[in-house]
Order: sequence, then structure tokens, then C-alpha cells
Amino acid sequence: MIAWLLVITVTAGYLRRVNVFSALSDGAMEGMKTAATVLPCLASTLMALSVLSSSGLLDQLCRVLSPAMRLFGLPEGVMPLFLMRPLSGSASLATLSQIMSQYGPDSRTGLVACAMMGSGETVLYTCSLYLAAAGVKKSRYIIPASLAGWVAGCITAGLLFR
Amino acid sequence: MNTALFLMILLGFLYALLSGDAGEISGAIMQAGQTAAETMIKLMGGFMLFGGITRVLEEAGAVRSLVCLLRRPLRRVFGQEISDDALGAAALNLSANMLGMGNAATPMGLKAAALMNPGRAESAPFGLCMLLVINATSVQLFPTTVISLRYAAGSANPGAIIWPTLAASSVATVVGMAVCFLCERRAGG
Repeated sequence: MIAWLLVITVTAGYLRRVNVFSALSDGAMEGMKTAATVLPCLASTLMALSVLSSSGLLDQLCRVLSPAMRLFGLPEGVMPLFLMRPLSGSASLATLSQIMSQYGPDSRTGLVACAMMGSGETVLYTCSLYLAAAGVKKSRYIIPASLAGWVAGCITAGLLFR
Repeated sequence: MNTALFLMILLGFLYALLSGDAGEISGAIMQAGQTAAETMIKLMGGFMLFGGITRVLEEAGAVRSLVCLLRRPLRRVFGQEISDDALGAAALNLSANMLGMGNAATPMGLKAAALMNPGRAESAPFGLCMLLVINATSVQLFPTTVISLRYAAGSANPGAIIWPTLAASSVATVVGMAVCFLCERRAGG
């Protein structure tokens, strides 16, 4: 799949007279910068998460909240991501990486968590940014509608990996 | 996020004190920084690959083609009253988002948001609500970050989540849009 993506992109670019080599390198430079910018936030969130999980509190929380997850047909391990995804991008990235190292990337929990991660966004941040740009004070039904979409995406992710 | 981080650390620490194994936490905290650095190095590989692919697509005119494709359906979604400029900006924003160019998408999205509320109304007009809900339910075609992270976590098949993610995020977007339509109708729009 990824190989196809690369081959098709490079061929299309080459045929359209793009300097493929320099475009790939420029893009890689940008990707490198992105990775470096997320590191500080990744480190602080992983530290906080490590306190939460090594103290045993995270397990306890999962146990308490797992009936709610099961209601949506989701494995209980994805609970932290379910709560974190709408709040922060890099924090949910850290949460996802924590889930994958705990359950394994190819386990049901890991797969569901990955599909969830890709089907949501940082609702609260996006909303406040865009509404500020538009000079709007009343967000009306935007946040409930976005969160409904998020829950629906999660349920779908749970259904896809049975 | 500030409060969330504070509570995670404080509550975790208190819980460990009460349950009696506070010693383990120090080791775990030290380990976390190292894990973050290792994850970042592995992530960087994926980010560089997808950053490159994205750039080639951009220079080959993929954004422009997508904008052309999206214009008509978007007019129907956002309603007739928004201006052509706003529609163009929104189409650019969503196209860039679909191709995973978050950095390029946000400025266009902000521009579209401003253009969708020309009268600077206090409460969000329908088109703006729609734009936000679509943005907030993720429209990315290739979940590049997740693929990179799966690779970093040692997955046997990092690309396995491409189709499921596309399906889940489409459902999320459709449900979000449906809720938007319903709320607008109830509000008497």
C-alpha cells in the first residue's frame, strides 16, 4: 500500500515535470522539523502518562470506565485515547504510543486505537481557533455535532476490528 | 491541557502513595523521557517519507485538482449564501487536509472561516458550523502519522489501518454533518 503510494506519487510527479528529488528532500526536511516540534510535548505527556500508569491509577480508571467503553463495543484499553483525542494532538499521539507498547500495535486494542486516532481531530482547539478567526462568540451546535461524529467514528472503529 | 497534565501527575502520585509503591514511579518517569526521544527518532523516518510524498503531490498540482473536484459538492453542503471567495478558501482548506498538509490547511481554513462570517455575526452561521464540523472530524485520506507511529511500535503491517481509518473517519464526518443539518433545521434555518 505504502509502496504503491510512493510509486504512483513519484510517477505522477515525474510526468508532470516536478523535480521529484528536490521535492522529496524538501518535504523530508519539513517532516523532520515536525517530528522535532512534537518532541517536547511528547516528552511531557509521556511523563505524566507514566506517573498515571505506573501508579496503577490508569488501570483502576480503565476498570471503572470500561463498562462505558463496552457500551460502545470498544476494548477498554482505548479509554485514555477516547478522552484525550478531542483535547490535544500531541498528547493523544503519546497516548496512542503508550497503548501500542502496552497491548501491541497489531492487537485488537492497538488496531482500534489507531483507527480512532485517524478518525478524529482536536475538536476543542480547532473550534476555538476558527471561531476566533471568524469573530464568532456563540458556537451553537458545533462542539456537540463534532463530538457526536467522534463517538460515531470510534464505534465504527470498534465494529471494523472484531 | 494544562489542568489535565497537572491532574494526571498529582492524582497518579497520590494514588501511588496511598497504594504503597511510590518507588516505581521515579523509574517510570526517567524512562518516559527516553521513550519520547526514541519514539521521535522512529517517527521522524515516517514523517520524512510522507512529508516528501506530500510535497511531490503538491508540486504536481494535486491540491488544485482536488479543489476543482470539491467545488460543486461543497456549494451544496455549505449552502447558497456563502461567497465564491469563501467557497474557494474552504475547498483549499479541505483539499490540503485530505492530503495531510495540516500546516498549509490551517491558514486557508482560518481565511475561509473569516469569509464565511462577513457580517461579523455573534453566533456562527450555518456554513461556518459545517466547515468546522468537517475539519473537526478529520478528512485525511492517508493517516500518515498513525502509520509512522505503528512502524515505530514495531507493527508487522503498519498500513493495515488505512481502509478502516478511512471508513471510521467517513462515518464520523457524515454523522457530524447530519447532526449539523438536524440542528439547523430545528433552529428554524
